[in-house]
Amino acid sequence: MRLAWALALWSALAFGQARVPAEVVDAFHAALRNKDTAAALSLLDRGLLVFEFGAVDPTVEAYAFRHLPFDMDVAVATRWKLETRRVGGEGNDRSVLSTYRVTGTQSDGRPIDLTMLETVLLRRSGDAFRIVHFHWSTDDPAFLERARKQRSQEPAR
Amino acid sequence: MKVPALFLVLALGAGAARAGHDAIDVDRSMKRHAGQVTALGEPDGEGRIYSFRARRLPAAPDFVANELRGWRLTMLAGQRFAQAFEVQGNMGLEIVVGPLDGPLNGIAVNDVFVLEEIAIERAARQ
Repeated sequence: MRLAWALALWSALAFGQARVPAEVVDAFHAALRNKDTAAALSLLDRGLLVFEFGAVDPTVEAYAFRHLPFDMDVAVATRWKLETRRVGGEGNDRSVLSTYRVTGTQSDGRPIDLTMLETVLLRRSGDAFRIVHFHWSTDDPAFLERARKQRSQEPAR
Repeated sequence: MKVPALFLVLALGAGAARAGHDAIDVDRSMKRHAGQVTALGEPDGEGRIYSFRARRLPAAPDFVANELRGWRLTMLAGQRFAQAFEVQGNMGLEIVVGPLDGPLNGIAVNDVFVLEEIAIERAARQ
């Protein structure tokens, strides 16, 4: 059984088989962690819409310009442990709903320890699934308050 | 084409836009600068374009000569969206990319890009 699974995985990798939706989500996070901007962008549909802690990026270009760099910085500085995942949808439209335990340390030494809730919608385009929607939120009220303040006060880096 | 929405983003200024994972205050993972194409460079004899002029977003002083040499340029909009190039050099805001990643043909005035102080890992994408 293990051999069959390994052969299936090997053939998928060897012959470039398209990723399933959950793998696309994981690949996006890996690209951020690896500081690979082009790889992260390549997984996004040109019709992307992002809801992120009360902020809206109405286009993929807006997300790429405004928030992807910050998301990359956070991905590099933190550890995201997948806790739950539910995949759904059918045909060309799929969903991947995940929760992560995010831990790390902020610039000033304060610890990061929160639950991140992530909704990802994907659409098949050609032979590949691409992300058409992200929605991130968290259970941490202090984080949400900081996000609200920063949205109205702070300049971008 | 989503240029109007992107223009709105740029017109609003990045200052009004910050939120998201960045509510976590972490160190930058690398130096980066954003910019917008203002003019395309002259094509070579075979029509290949390897340079362009730009303006910085948000506005900032011009880059020092060859400050960006070896940096990674990634297009964030337009026909070459998600394509990465290695900067061969720069004179102020005129940016020249090397030939290894192919020419820039397809980029257009107003396309937005990011410059990051990191090498391109070409093997990883082949």
